Amino acid sequence: MEKKAWKGILLLIAFIVVVLSAGSLFVGHSETFAGFLYGAGGVALFMLFAKLMTLIQREGKQDD
Amino acid sequence: MIDIGVIPNVPPAIIYIIGAALLPLLGKGKVRSIYLIALAVLGLIGVAVLTPQTSWVFPVLQGLDLTFLQVDSLSLIMGYIFAIIGAAAIIYSLDIVKENGELVCGLLYLGSAMGAVFAGDFFTLYIFWEIMAFSSLGLIWYSRTERATNAGMRYILFHLLGGCALLGGIIIHYMNTGSIAVGPVESGIGYFLLLAGIGVNTAFISLHSWLPDSYPKATLAGAVFMCVFTTKTGVYVLARTYPGVEAVAYMGGVMCLYGVAFALMQNDVRKLLSYHIVSQVGYMVAGIGIGTYIGINGGIAHVFNHILYKALLFMCMGAVIYSTGRHNLTELGGLAKKMPITMVTCMIAAFSISGVPGFNGYVSKGMVVHAAELEGMHILTIILIIGSVGTFLSFLKLTYFTFFKKNDEIEAKEAPLPMLIAMSAVAFLCVAIGVYPKMLYEILPYPAVALHYHAYGLAHTISTLELLIMTAVGFVVLLAVFSPHERITYDIDLLYRKAGRRFIWLCEQPLVTVAEGLDHGLQKAADSVVWFSRNPTTASKILAAKVAVAMAGSTVMRTLNPGYIQYEQDLAKLKQMHMEEPVPKVAIGTGVLLALLLFTLYLVVYLTHGVLWV
Repeated sequence: MEKKAWKGILLLIAFIVVVLSAGSLFVGHSETFAGFLYGAGGVALFMLFAKLMTLIQREGKQDD
Repeated sequence: MIDIGVIPNVPPAIIYIIGAALLPLLGKGKVRSIYLIALAVLGLIGVAVLTPQTSWVFPVLQGLDLTFLQVDSLSLIMGYIFAIIGAAAIIYSLDIVKENGELVCGLLYLGSAMGAVFAGDFFTLYIFWEIMAFSSLGLIWYSRTERATNAGMRYILFHLLGGCALLGGIIIHYMNTGSIAVGPVESGIGYFLLLAGIGVNTAFISLHSWLPDSYPKATLAGAVFMCVFTTKTGVYVLARTYPGVEAVAYMGGVMCLYGVAFALMQNDVRKLLSYHIVSQVGYMVAGIGIGTYIGINGGIAHVFNHILYKALLFMCMGAVIYSTGRHNLTELGGLAKKMPITMVTCMIAAFSISGVPGFNGYVSKGMVVHAAELEGMHILTIILIIGSVGTFLSFLKLTYFTFFKKNDEIEAKEAPLPMLIAMSAVAFLCVAIGVYPKMLYEILPYPAVALHYHAYGLAHTISTLELLIMTAVGFVVLLAVFSPHERITYDIDLLYRKAGRRFIWLCEQPLVTVAEGLDHGLQKAADSVVWFSRNPTTASKILAAKVAVAMAGSTVMRTLNPGYIQYEQDLAKLKQMHMEEPVPKVAIGTGVLLALLLFTLYLVVYLTHGVLWV
């Protein structure tokens, strides 16, 4: 096999190991994935707010 | 070895204020740089040698002592961080500040902030509070632009109003308690006035608009000084006077969300950072408002950490503006390769403020959230967590659009060496405290409690990572929503500006009309008095005749008998003519005699019957 292919396989294995260990860590110690929930909720809230804020914005350079 | 015990406890404010006074004598060359570095080191030593539980007290009046130096764990941690960041800001300024006046303002500002945190009584605190306001105004006005001048006027107006409220609160507190020692305040009008005065400096929502208005218009080095002292001194005084007030805790929550929501909408990099001061101060205010040992520890730890990463962010953005001349995200981008050290230090500051594990912000923010959880303040806990999401979104936006977005047009080179040294030193501290938080715990107001807090508990770290991963994914997916635009976002200051314009209109139009009317009326009355006094006898006769005509001749009578009209005209002519008649005059001595007689008569009546009109 070529050197490049070996390198690729090794990288893939390392990636899988990192993902699996991170996943098991998250599953084992996370409190019902509250962080993901808060993150998703927060992003949605700020997206909504950004949309609402466009109503009180006007075009022009941010100045006085 | 030097025994630091023999070095006297000198208020650090004196070091910086004398340092500021001597600076103009040194010109602008290398001597100035060496002097400034020496002053920064001296300031650090001055704070390091302070012994806890010592004070400088000056009796002014009986029962009224002014305390210029009150050293305890709370004032000491503030002193440490002010001295550290003061030194970094001085080094940062070495190459970019050309005018000594600007540095004098910076040093006075630093010195007065030191004076405020080491003040043991409200009056000393108030004096330094006001010096802070005026010296920081210089840092805005040294930008020498019309925008900066106007923003400076609004800034000082706000701070003068806040200062008046603070002074009013102090006086009422003194009248009620007989004490001016800095400490918790009894409820009443003084309580609210003092809170409003502190609230201006702490940027409570509705009193915050001076902050995002003025900081982006300050000089590059001035903004580094400004982002540190005013709001944090406010938080410190709040910790002394209003710990454990639930309303204050919820105000912190509101500040946290409000600041971050507005920060997300900004295009000007320093305006974005300014709104983030409001948001991050919200965490500190929440911690103080919760009021438990862990809450106050969290609030003060966040003051310490926030000063480090916020000053670093202002330094980095100052370096970007210095190198490119651009301050809007829409005009920036592509700087990662051109300014690598600035990029790395900015990323460290961004990770710190976002609460990424391994950086200092994670430690203190977690402490405040943990305090809210322990007290069962669930809404506040959720608000503070959601605030973290907004913070990370903002700083993904800031770093991406400044450093990583493709922009081939931009020309820039790395910032000067003194700026890089200051930025690297502060970035190192952000990481050091994040990795080894014990060194911060040991200087907190309640170290024993702090040492029991485990910032890197597995569940807490994992849930924080989940939150940050989700936020990063959200940012990538919704990049278009969070992209910067050249738009003006209205804040509450729009109302103040409208109200201000109405007030000016009220002064210029209706009030001026009323004043002119009054002026005219008074002039007429004065003319009449002069006319009457020239010939009182004839004037009385004319007046009597006019009254008689007015009483006898109604409109109907005038219509029936034109003689009335003729008579009125004759009287008017007579009124003009009688001035020329010779008036009998008496000698001045006779006049004095008559006046004396009158007074004597009055005295007799007064002595026999009491006051004449009673």
